[in-house]
Amino acid sequence: MTGVGSFSPSRLREGSGEGLLSEPRSTRPPPTPPAGGRGALPWSTAWRIARRDLSARFRGLRLLLVCLFLGTGALAAIGTLTGSIESELAARGASILGGDIEAEVWQRGATAQEASAFSALGKVSSGTRMQAMATAGPQADECAAPIALKAVDASYPLVGKLRLQDGRAVGAPPPGSLWLAEGAAERLGVAPGDTVKIGGQPLTLGGIVAEEPDALSEGFALGAVAIVRDDFPARAGLTAPGAMYRTKLRVALRPGIDPAAAVQQLQARFPDAGLRLRTRDKAAPGAERFIENMGQFLVLVGLAALAIAGIGIGGGVASYLDARRASIATLKVLGASSGDIARIYLLQIAAAALAGSVAGLAAGVLVTPLLASALGKLLPVSAGLVLDPAALPRAAAYGLLVAMVFAAPPLLRARQFPAMALMRSRVAPLALPFRAMLVPVGLGLAAIVGLALASAADMRLTAGFLVSTAALLILLAGLGGAIRRLTARLPRPENPLLRIALVNLYRPGAQTGALVTALGFGLSAFVLLAVIETSLSANIARKVPARAPDYFVLDVPRDRLAEFEQAVHQTVPGAAIRAVPALRGAILAYGPAERMTRVADLKAIPENAWALRGERGLTYADEVPEGNSLTEGQWWAKGYTGVPLVSVDEKLEDALGLKLGDSITISLLGVERTAKIASFRRIDWDSMGFNYVLVFSPNAIQDAPHNLAATIDIPPGAPKAGLLRRLVRAFPASSVIETGALLRDARALLSQMSVAILAAASVTVLAGIAVLLGAIAAARASRLYDTVILRVLGASRGQLLALQVAEYGLLVAMLAGVALALGSGIGWLVIVKLFEFDWLPDWREVFAVLGAGLALVLGFALAGSLPLLRAKPAQALRDL
Amino acid sequence: MTSPPPAIAAQNLTLTLGSGQAAVEILRGIDLEVPQGQALALLGPSGSGKSSLMAVLSGLERATSGTLSVAGENFSGMDEDALARARRGRIGIVLQAFHLLPTMTALENVATPMELAGMPDAASCARAELEAVGLGHRMTHYPAQLSGGEQQRVAIARAIAPRPVLVFADEPTGNLDTATGHDIIDLLFARHAEAGATLLIVTHDHELAARCGRVITLADGRIASDSGT
Repeated sequence: MTGVGSFSPSRLREGSGEGLLSEPRSTRPPPTPPAGGRGALPWSTAWRIARRDLSARFRGLRLLLVCLFLGTGALAAIGTLTGSIESELAARGASILGGDIEAEVWQRGATAQEASAFSALGKVSSGTRMQAMATAGPQADECAAPIALKAVDASYPLVGKLRLQDGRAVGAPPPGSLWLAEGAAERLGVAPGDTVKIGGQPLTLGGIVAEEPDALSEGFALGAVAIVRDDFPARAGLTAPGAMYRTKLRVALRPGIDPAAAVQQLQARFPDAGLRLRTRDKAAPGAERFIENMGQFLVLVGLAALAIAGIGIGGGVASYLDARRASIATLKVLGASSGDIARIYLLQIAAAALAGSVAGLAAGVLVTPLLASALGKLLPVSAGLVLDPAALPRAAAYGLLVAMVFAAPPLLRARQFPAMALMRSRVAPLALPFRAMLVPVGLGLAAIVGLALASAADMRLTAGFLVSTAALLILLAGLGGAIRRLTARLPRPENPLLRIALVNLYRPGAQTGALVTALGFGLSAFVLLAVIETSLSANIARKVPARAPDYFVLDVPRDRLAEFEQAVHQTVPGAAIRAVPALRGAILAYGPAERMTRVADLKAIPENAWALRGERGLTYADEVPEGNSLTEGQWWAKGYTGVPLVSVDEKLEDALGLKLGDSITISLLGVERTAKIASFRRIDWDSMGFNYVLVFSPNAIQDAPHNLAATIDIPPGAPKAGLLRRLVRAFPASSVIETGALLRDARALLSQMSVAILAAASVTVLAGIAVLLGAIAAARASRLYDTVILRVLGASRGQLLALQVAEYGLLVAMLAGVALALGSGIGWLVIVKLFEFDWLPDWREVFAVLGAGLALVLGFALAGSLPLLRAKPAQALRDL
Repeated sequence: MTSPPPAIAAQNLTLTLGSGQAAVEILRGIDLEVPQGQALALLGPSGSGKSSLMAVLSGLERATSGTLSVAGENFSGMDEDALARARRGRIGIVLQAFHLLPTMTALENVATPMELAGMPDAASCARAELEAVGLGHRMTHYPAQLSGGEQQRVAIARAIAPRPVLVFADEPTGNLDTATGHDIIDLLFARHAEAGATLLIVTHDHELAARCGRVITLADGRIASDSGT
């Protein structure tokens, strides 16, 4: 380089400075005058300085990295999983629906006009679905099981493949045989080749179903599927007038026909036929809704984890910047303004946040298959790995916004750190810059809330969750502060180790408040889930059977009611039977008679007016049904023969704004019937019997062909053995559903869901543990000092370990108290006030779940503190 | 021809830290004028206020009252950020404990103030300055890899490289052994002479003070003597 001084470096090394002044002077010209040197530091220069100061391994910012990794990872995994399932559902829409479009109608077959309209659109496959009973085995020891009977024609399946366990891809079974789902075969104790009776008609089991392509679109059924030929139900008398069955018509549309247009055309042609039409893109609305709700719930859990991780982010950034106080002051001495400091460290934090988020996104995507396999049978389809283009940016945005909200306060405080700190050991404590914080923290929070609400399936639920989470975090922060103050007031124990352990909880710089907030949230969630799950399960096990009938019987022929009652009473004397007429129909119009609102004309179904969707159960009665009470109007007299009347559920009254005297038109077996509203009723849904939104005067609908539905209550202690078998044999076309089996299934599902939710909530505990490890790392210097002094004073490693156990044991004990109080308090509100169930938590299970969480916390705390025990006093004293 | 303006012109400077009953008067009415290019030593016992005076004169601390003009800039009334910007490229500071940025190499440490000042050729100037202080072979070393004397040389190179009009040194040899301290002082004077900047050294060391053209002794926050008057 020209003009550079010619000092000999070797002569200038330490201790050899003689002759310095005699050396020729550098002739380097003065540097170019600063260009814009009085303005803010350009971002490029700020980044150059930031990059130099930033360790390649993000030393000091690893807590930020880990917290964002966990938070964005959880959200990315959730987003990818739900995205993968949704795309699988969309891709397999035609297969799931069994065609491009489907029409469903209750209690009748398709009319000739309907059939010809469908045939004109493409290839049609038709069939029927119904609840039925299957029996098998010798007469003396016959097994019975409810089944979802599916009668299909030779064209089935129009799309996809029906596979049996023996590997065959099949269509409809040969005449006289059936395909049976594994669950039903197991319950009936049958294998291929055995005989199974449905509706009293024998069939040979031709194979066990391994893969039913359209299972998801079939909807809820009590029992596993049994597939038979389309002519079987009629032969077995299962589709007699009044029987509860559905006819399905599926069409593989001819090329060029748009499914939505085809549905629109059919709706226009048969507006009041009671057809429920679906297209392949809405093949399984129930599954889609489940996935949407599950995804929403998991996103909220992920957000809660991210909020806790935010505490770690704030702590991590604060201790990182504290460790850099000297560097910040030095930069200020060299001419950096507070704005320049903010830029330099913002870039460092942003780089670490970006790295953590990107790593989290990658890990989130990679663990999705594990998550899918953990959720197992809860998922409607086994999803492959599909990247959802919206989910990953959304997860990253959440992560970076949370980082911004929590990193802004320490960053804004650090920019105030004065240059004079280098020259004077004492500087005035830095106030938290509340005003300056308002903008980034406020904007960040608003963006998080906006993003959560914008992508929410249910805005109210999301808003409620966000508000509750914020309230809980504030409450926990308050509790943390209170615990800190309380421990400071406790008398100091005589035991020195206990004394130090206690003091460590409130000494200056102690993170007790942050730890109670971060760990308390996850552990409270553990307790909350455990008390809710065990209470619900206990209610189902103990309380529901006491309230619910022992059997539900569907499709009891109304002309055989006496015979039915006799059969029940002969088998179980004293059994209580309640039978009601059971019909199905769709509400077509409602409102004042002269200007009724047609449901088909509604752009959207009003909130809470679920009864307007598709067909609903209908009944008629002479008297107010048991468990119902009139809120307005009058009940019709027995034997009433005037204008057809109807009594309506008060909730539907509110949802539709109905008035006494208004009319309701229904479609019953394809025929329109109108009735005047005579009364509104309050229904006690807890009575767990048959409850109907619309109850008509008998003269309104009793002429329509229909059967009865019945409940049977067995007196306590009475033997009920043989009742199921006798009823199935005597009434082969009826379905007898045992409540006990249903409740067992419900409890199994509840337990499975509870495990899945607990697994999701574990992310919040993991985030809390990251905060704990960060707090331990931040306090390492002062703890090392304490440890070394204690070692110098003669403390053994065992005593030091005991000190750590005592300190974290105290913390864990306080966390246990906080988690139990909050978790069970909120759980009580949910169970007793919201669900109106009995408070029946299984405390053993609750303590086991909480204990596992606490053991995890204590284990990590001790593992994080172990390096302190290995400190060598002499070496540490030199370094301190 | 008019004489150039003084590098430092201070009138009735006071500095009080704390407030109320805890208030401590550190500087009590300092009047001082330092011509450009002068080498000035601030002497005085511990607690006399010499480091505080240097902090005020270099813009690290704001005076409680009085007027102050440094390198043609009116420091009175400037806030911390304005003072930081005023220091850029114009004031070099060498501190007793070196205060190099531990995560940066020697070269990066020297380049940083020039980068903050927006100088375009910061890296090459830093390289040249490190060569000039005899650390051409240590450019990529981190502070922890350098001896105390080497670290202080880097600090001097960092202060001098932007070619400031004023260089402040607070006990520059306080953390060094005697021989190394001598080398550092030689180097500081050599670089001061080369750069032609005004030099203000805070020291306890009378021998070092004697090498300066002017010596001011502080006692109890006031100028007790000034060899220049």
